[in-house]
Amino acid sequence: MSSTKTSRIGEEIWKTRVDKVNAELVTLTYGTIVAQLCQDYDSNYQDVNKQLDKMGYNIGMRLIEDFLAKSGVGRCANFRETADMIAKVGFKIFLNVTPTVTNWTSDNTQFSLIFEDNPLADFVELPDDGRAQDELWFSNILCGVLRGSLEMVQMQIEAHFVSDVLRGDDTTEMRVSLVRYIEDEMPPEEE
Amino acid sequence: MAAPRHATMQSISNGGTQGSDRPHTQQSQQAQQSQQSPGLRVPSNRKTIYDRHLNRSRNAELSRASFAFLFGEMVTYAQRRVTGIQDLEKRLNEQGYPLGLRLLDLLFYRSTSTSSSALSSSSTSSSPPNRPLRIITLLHLIHGPLWRLLFGRAADALEHSVSPDTPNEYMITDNDPMVNTYISAPRDMSMLNCAAYVAGIIEGVCDGCGFETKVSAHNQPTELWPSRTVFLVRFGDAVMEREKVLERAGVK
Amino acid sequence: MPDKHRGVFSLIIINKAGGLIYQREFQAGLRKLSTNDYLVLAGTFHGVHAITRSITPKIPISQPAQPPATSSTGTAAPATSGYSYPNPGVPVSGLDHLETDKFRLTCFQTLTGTKFLLFTDPLTGSVDTIIQKIYELYADFVMKNPFYQIEMPVRCEAFDRHLGAWLRGRT
Repeated sequence: MSSTKTSRIGEEIWKTRVDKVNAELVTLTYGTIVAQLCQDYDSNYQDVNKQLDKMGYNIGMRLIEDFLAKSGVGRCANFRETADMIAKVGFKIFLNVTPTVTNWTSDNTQFSLIFEDNPLADFVELPDDGRAQDELWFSNILCGVLRGSLEMVQMQIEAHFVSDVLRGDDTTEMRVSLVRYIEDEMPPEEE
Repeated sequence: MAAPRHATMQSISNGGTQGSDRPHTQQSQQAQQSQQSPGLRVPSNRKTIYDRHLNRSRNAELSRASFAFLFGEMVTYAQRRVTGIQDLEKRLNEQGYPLGLRLLDLLFYRSTSTSSSALSSSSTSSSPPNRPLRIITLLHLIHGPLWRLLFGRAADALEHSVSPDTPNEYMITDNDPMVNTYISAPRDMSMLNCAAYVAGIIEGVCDGCGFETKVSAHNQPTELWPSRTVFLVRFGDAVMEREKVLERAGVK
Repeated sequence: MPDKHRGVFSLIIINKAGGLIYQREFQAGLRKLSTNDYLVLAGTFHGVHAITRSITPKIPISQPAQPPATSSTGTAAPATSGYSYPNPGVPVSGLDHLETDKFRLTCFQTLTGTKFLLFTDPLTGSVDTIIQKIYELYADFVMKNPFYQIEMPVRCEAFDRHLGAWLRGRT
C-alpha cells in the first residue's frame, strides 16, 4: 500500500469515523495518571517508566481491535508498511498526530518515530528535582501501546524513547525494532 | 486555603503552576552537571509550556477511544490497590481532584481573556465575577462552563436538596456520563460508579474556589438513561455559615 | 415493517484459543443447544477452521523467493520451499461460511485471531456489514471496558444492550 494512500486512510477515518472528546481532558487525564505513579513509586522514575509501559501494553492489546474495526485494513505486507500504518493511521486516529517514520536500518527491521507534536505532553513540565529529566520518559505508555497492539497481530517488537523535548532534547523520538514474527503468521513477504 | 488535599497535587505540572516563578532564561548545560544548580533543560527550539499559548488546545479534539483506554487503565490500576468499592471510588476521586484545580484556572483565564460571558450564565450582574462567591454561582459554573469544557455540553440538571435536614446538599445530574460510556461494572460491583473521577474534578473546582465540599457519584438509572448519574455535592459547615453572611450582606 | 436484520438468529464469539466467550440468540430461529454443546461447537469449528487454513493449496513458483527480512523468524516455509499461495496478496483464510437449506453460518476472523460466528437466514443480505458493525461494538463495549479480562467470557451489560438495540434497528 502506498504511503500517500495510507495517509488518506488515516485522515478519512479521523474525520468521519472517530468519536471525539476535548483534547485537554485526555491530556490532563494522562497527566494525572503519571503524577499518581510518581507518587505511588516514590519518584523512582525507572519503576514509573516500567509501569507506564505495562499500562500501555494492556491498552495496546485492546486498542488493536478498535484500530482494526475502525480502519478495516488488512495485514501489512512487510514491516515498512507496518511502520507507515502505525504512524499515519494508528497515531492519526488515536492522537491526531502523524509522527515521521525515519532512520531505517538497512535490514528494514528498525525505525524511528519523530514526534513534532505530542498531545499527551501538552501542559507538561517535568519535576525540577535534578533526576526526572534524566530518568523519566513521560510518554512511555506509547511504547507499551505499540508493543501490545503489534503482539496481537503476531509481531514481537521492542520500543523505547531515545529523546524527548520534555528532557530538553530538540526532538521527541521513539525507536522501534522488530524482534520476530510470531507463529506461522508470516506476512506474504514473497512479493 | 492550603487544604491538606493540595498535598496530592503533583510536581508534574500539567497545568503550569509549578516553577512559574522560575525565570526560563537561565537554562544551560550546567544544570545537567550539578544538582546544586537546579533548573530544567529546555530544547534549543524552545518547545516548552511557556512558549505555547494556553489557548492552543482550546478547541483541539482527541479520540474518545484514547480517553476511554487511558481512563480504563486508571481504573484497572486503582483497583489493584484498594480494599473495596468505596476505596476504589475514593481513589478515582483523588485522581480527578487535581484536574479540577487546574481546569478552574483554565476556565477563569479563558473567560476573562476572551471577554466571553461564559461564567455569567447564572449571574444577574452585568460584569461576571471572576470567582464565584455564592454557592449557586459556583454550581452554575460547574453545571455549565465546566461541563461544556470537559464534555461539550451542559449537565442535565441542577437541584437543591428538598430535605430541611440537608440544606447543604445539591445534586448535579448527567443522564449519560461520557466517562462511563464503555464501562460495564461486574454484577458484584453494581454500586460502583467510575464517574467518581468526575466527582473528584468537581471537588477540585469547589475547593479551588474556596468552597470546602465532598462530592460523590451515584447510579440513578432510568429506563431511558441506564447510566444516569447524580453527583451529590455536600458543602461544609463553614461554607454554609459564610453563605448566610454573604446573603445578609447582599453579595451575589 | 421490513427489518433488514430480521434474519439474524444468533452470534457466537470464539477466542484465540478456541474457547467460547459469547453466545447469544436474537430471536427464535435456531434450536437451542446445551451449554456444553455450544462449547463443543466453538472448539470444533475452531479446529476445522485451522485445518481448512492449513490445507489451502499452494502452487509452485518459478522465481526464487525473496528471503524474509529477519533471520530469526524461523517459520519461513512458504517463501523458501518454492511454493506460494495463489494470489499471495490475499491472506490465507480458513472456512468462512457454512450453509444449509435453513440457515447460514458466516465466520469472520479478525487479524488478532478472534472469531465472530453469525447465524442468519440464508436469504439475509449484507452479512459482512452486520459482522463489521458487531466487531465495532465489541471493540467499544468489550475492549474498552476495564472490567473485561481479555480472552475471558464476555459479560458486559453495555455490549448486550447496544448489540440488541442495534440489531433491532433502533440506534
